Amino acid sequence: MQDLLSALIAKAASELPTVVTRPDFDAAKARYVGPNGELTALMKQMGSVPKEQKPVVGKLVNEAKTALQAHLDAALARIEAAALAAQLGPAVDPTLPSPDRTPGTQHPLTLVREEMTRILRKVGFTVVEGPEVETEYYCFDALNTPADHPARDAQDTFYLPESARFGNVAKKNPDEKYLLRTHTSSVQIRTLLKGQPPIRIVSPGRVYRRDTTDATHSANFHQLECLYVDKNVTVRDLKALLDYIFASLLGKDTKTRFRPHYFGYTEPSFEVDLSARHLPKVNKEWIEIGGCGMVDPIVFKDVGYDPEVWSGYAFGMGLERLAMLLYGIDDIRYFYQNDARFLRQFA
Amino acid sequence: MKVSLNWLQSYVDLTGVSAEDISRAITFLGFEVEQVIRTGAPAFNNVVVGHILTRDKHPNADKLSVCTVDVGAAHGGVRTIVCGAPNCDVGNSVPVALPGAVLPGDFVIKEAKVRGQASSGMMCSAKELTLSHEAHGLLLLNGGLPAGTPINAALPTGDTVFDIEITPNRPDCLSHLGVARELAAWFKKELRYPEVSFTPASIGASHRTDLLKSIRVDNPTCCPLYTATVITGVNVGPSPEWMQQRLSAVGLRPINNVVDIGNYVMLEYGQPVHAFDAHKLAGAELIVRSATEGEKITTLDGKTRELGSPMLVIADAHKPVVIAGIMGSADAGVTDVTTDLILEVASFKRQSVRATGKRLGLGSDSSYRYERGVDVHSLDEAAHRFIDLILAHAGGQVAGPIHRVGGDQPWEREITVTPAFINAKLGFEIPAEFIKTSLESLELALVREEQSEDDSLTWTFSVPSWRDDLDRPIDLVEEVVRLYGTEKIPSSVITAPGLVGNDDPIVLFNRRVTDALVGQGFNEAVNYTLRPGKELAAWATPAAVADLALANPFVEDQSHLRPTLVSGLLETLQLNQSRGVAASQFFETGRVFIERNGQLSECIAAAFIIAEDTGERTWRTRETADFYTAKRHTATICALAGIELERQPTSLVPVPAHGWQEGHAATAGDIKHGWTSTFGLVSLAHLKSLGITGKVYAGFFAIVSEKVSAEAERRSYKPFGLQPAALRDLALVVPEATSSAEVQKALAKVARAAVGTAFALEAVHVFDVYQGKGLPEGTKSLAYSLVFRAAERTLTDEEVNAVFTQIQAELLKITPYQIRK
Repeated sequence: MQDLLSALIAKAASELPTVVTRPDFDAAKARYVGPNGELTALMKQMGSVPKEQKPVVGKLVNEAKTALQAHLDAALARIEAAALAAQLGPAVDPTLPSPDRTPGTQHPLTLVREEMTRILRKVGFTVVEGPEVETEYYCFDALNTPADHPARDAQDTFYLPESARFGNVAKKNPDEKYLLRTHTSSVQIRTLLKGQPPIRIVSPGRVYRRDTTDATHSANFHQLECLYVDKNVTVRDLKALLDYIFASLLGKDTKTRFRPHYFGYTEPSFEVDLSARHLPKVNKEWIEIGGCGMVDPIVFKDVGYDPEVWSGYAFGMGLERLAMLLYGIDDIRYFYQNDARFLRQFA
Repeated sequence: MKVSLNWLQSYVDLTGVSAEDISRAITFLGFEVEQVIRTGAPAFNNVVVGHILTRDKHPNADKLSVCTVDVGAAHGGVRTIVCGAPNCDVGNSVPVALPGAVLPGDFVIKEAKVRGQASSGMMCSAKELTLSHEAHGLLLLNGGLPAGTPINAALPTGDTVFDIEITPNRPDCLSHLGVARELAAWFKKELRYPEVSFTPASIGASHRTDLLKSIRVDNPTCCPLYTATVITGVNVGPSPEWMQQRLSAVGLRPINNVVDIGNYVMLEYGQPVHAFDAHKLAGAELIVRSATEGEKITTLDGKTRELGSPMLVIADAHKPVVIAGIMGSADAGVTDVTTDLILEVASFKRQSVRATGKRLGLGSDSSYRYERGVDVHSLDEAAHRFIDLILAHAGGQVAGPIHRVGGDQPWEREITVTPAFINAKLGFEIPAEFIKTSLESLELALVREEQSEDDSLTWTFSVPSWRDDLDRPIDLVEEVVRLYGTEKIPSSVITAPGLVGNDDPIVLFNRRVTDALVGQGFNEAVNYTLRPGKELAAWATPAAVADLALANPFVEDQSHLRPTLVSGLLETLQLNQSRGVAASQFFETGRVFIERNGQLSECIAAAFIIAEDTGERTWRTRETADFYTAKRHTATICALAGIELERQPTSLVPVPAHGWQEGHAATAGDIKHGWTSTFGLVSLAHLKSLGITGKVYAGFFAIVSEKVSAEAERRSYKPFGLQPAALRDLALVVPEATSSAEVQKALAKVARAAVGTAFALEAVHVFDVYQGKGLPEGTKSLAYSLVFRAAERTLTDEEVNAVFTQIQAELLKITPYQIRK
């Protein structure tokens, strides 16, 4: 018996390492330990072993069984490992670039707009939108721009034909013309007419001028405008807003300064300069960044607010100009050409 | 406007104030300084007048001379200087830069040896002293100056010219006096008006009514005041040197004394004036009237212009001689032989001048001022100055009274303001005394000062006539803060009481679309809203294209509002392909304008394109996009607007398919319900016409702006079964034109009915589409997977099979579909 068992183990030890596939393994396993297997057959002979030899033989059989199982386990582990390994190709070259396309990118104008609105959101400004097709009332009349003002010229402003009809841009007066808004200030008027003071809004958006396209002019561009209306709003509050915006954008030591200017819908009016030290490619101490002022009482009167009670400020700036200053871009046309080499620089 | 510092000095003493400080003052008074131009010589040290005493040929150089030059005892007497200029002749007076002098360009003069010959200084050309752009030998000076005189004393004094932008509210500053007034206020100096010795009382007895008898103003609304004066016996010749210098400095070419004086008065007072040759007028009456249709005039610039009503002209008995406020005729102009003048000083309505100038495409320094507003109340002052300067510099005498038609309404305007009001508007304290003196320095006269019991002051100021822009207390706030210095507005902490609202739903939508598509690897593009009309034919009906046209486009390729974002994105792709830039996925959000029944709607839109040609080869190829990729991205955008695209009726784009490829692009939604979308393959023919290589898939979504909704409703949780599912697959053979949506809808309906309430049909989805071998002609097979599940138990095969059999039987009964075995 002992010899038979030893021979069986020796056979398994030499045969099992040569088994490669799982079916072959299963067949081999059946041959040894299956119901008709050789070990099973030997175990069946236990009955004919004399009683006094049974403990010894039983022990031998158990040892053989354990040894056989070890061979089987090893073979199975090897086969399974080989099967997993077969699912893999050769090791990768980790230095090859990914063939997948490059990540998506936000346009620099979006980045700048979102950064500005985030900064303004922190001090209570909410973002509003208004139509790009406007009427003369919202774009000019309500903003104290007289009928013969040069800005209203067909030379400077795009108009739609008098026959144009819009389903969702309402005229204030039946005989006014539709035009493409020349500034986002029209949104101020819509907000004032709709809202209840106090009001604190920022309106970014696309505006249109009848300009020759060159490195600094574009038929359409984007503005961002803030309006705050409350009681006792002062010039000093306006200065505080500008200081806050640009310190948030460019760092604590950024300064702004006001220069007196003229806009029809603010009084007093100022142009805003920015200390340019933090800007790339600006070889000047101060650079103009936008216009602002205290809402002219006539604007309040026109939209039905009592100027004795309500006061406010407005600030507006060009987003292309801001983006150009922040990133050091020297041609406004790049924003509209969408060369991917340009677009991928800002994400 | 260009302003000469020398000229300003006539009205305000700015001695010792640097050009930089003046420039800064102008800036902070509210006028942008566009340029500061310096003329004349800069200040030199160690450059003196020298007299050439001897000249010998240089022993070692043909073209050089060795001169002895007297530079004055204080500078070492006679020096030997080597010179290369041809005109270093004995007896000439020339500029000599002594050792130690620094000439422009940091050119330091030293004791030197030139070809072996010691040279103690340099004789200078005009170019070396930056007086001229060219060197024509040495600059020869007037011989009367003693040797050693500092060179600046021998050179014309320079001028500094400020080119400044005058804001439209300040026409009073379109004059040297106006700017001087501002500077006087800023520097706290006195403003000196020009001295005018002429007064109407000084007019003599000789009245030349043959030259001008009367004035007729037919249109007093457009010409509120017209004055004309006859001056006889003038000598037309050059104007005085100082006047020529001032005019040249501000960019005007001196012509003759009469014309120059006219320009001078205009630039001094801001009041345009005009001089006629009295003998060139027919009749003795000047008529201010509307031009008649077709009437012609040849203006001073030599161009013949056709006039028409309601353009305002000044005419004699036969013809117009001036386009009112804009330009005179060449025929009636002053020439060298003119002896008798009629001087016109008038007021014209700004709108009238503007409309005429615009119609004729003609502008002038005069019309520029009239269009912005000329103070009619200062008119007489300017007229007297005009007469005075003519008499002084062209001679002659006033031959008759000043003809004057129209009455100026008397000017009277007062503003009452308190220092408390001004400080409340500013939010910081400016002392009352400063406020008062500031306003007074701008010639606002304090009419009344009242002090109430609590010591608070109330002032009433009268506003000068040239400051029509000052009308309300708030207008004075600006004047005060201007003179206080806007740079000194204190900074403070922003006060932001909680006013937190929500951002506009449109903003949120755009933000989400941008995030989603950027996350899918798209590059955001921004294209112009205005597109060429011919491009739009591919994207909108002819009627819509007509409605999208602007009334006054600026250039042909930006003539129409865009009805889609896809055309812009294709242009973007085209540009990148043409530049060889690898990029294949772009998107844009923005406004579009969609026509329906002759009416346009402004819509919020998003679109993307995916190009098959990525513009680069990669070492491993990735699967390319197809129609269903476009559909997926479009569905993503729709979902962000609260629309579930898969539940919307979707059909192939109708033929003709515009920019979309017939049979390979689909549309869902309708602008009449507030939104629309189109997605799929861009027309191959269209791509070919654009020169774009490879297929392009695109998607476009637009929603009427007011339909963009705020936050989506909060979802409520639906329980889901935890028991195992039972799956059955069913392939149906259907006519090939049948849409998947139709089959799926029928199948789901039948399946749900079969399941009843016993358990649930959890999902039906198509997993295979087949057409071809093994199927009858004109049919296709759609294979669906049905997922059944019960909430509380494991389903048995028997019950599922029973339902599945029932579904098949029912389908065969009520639909034309066959079961594929």
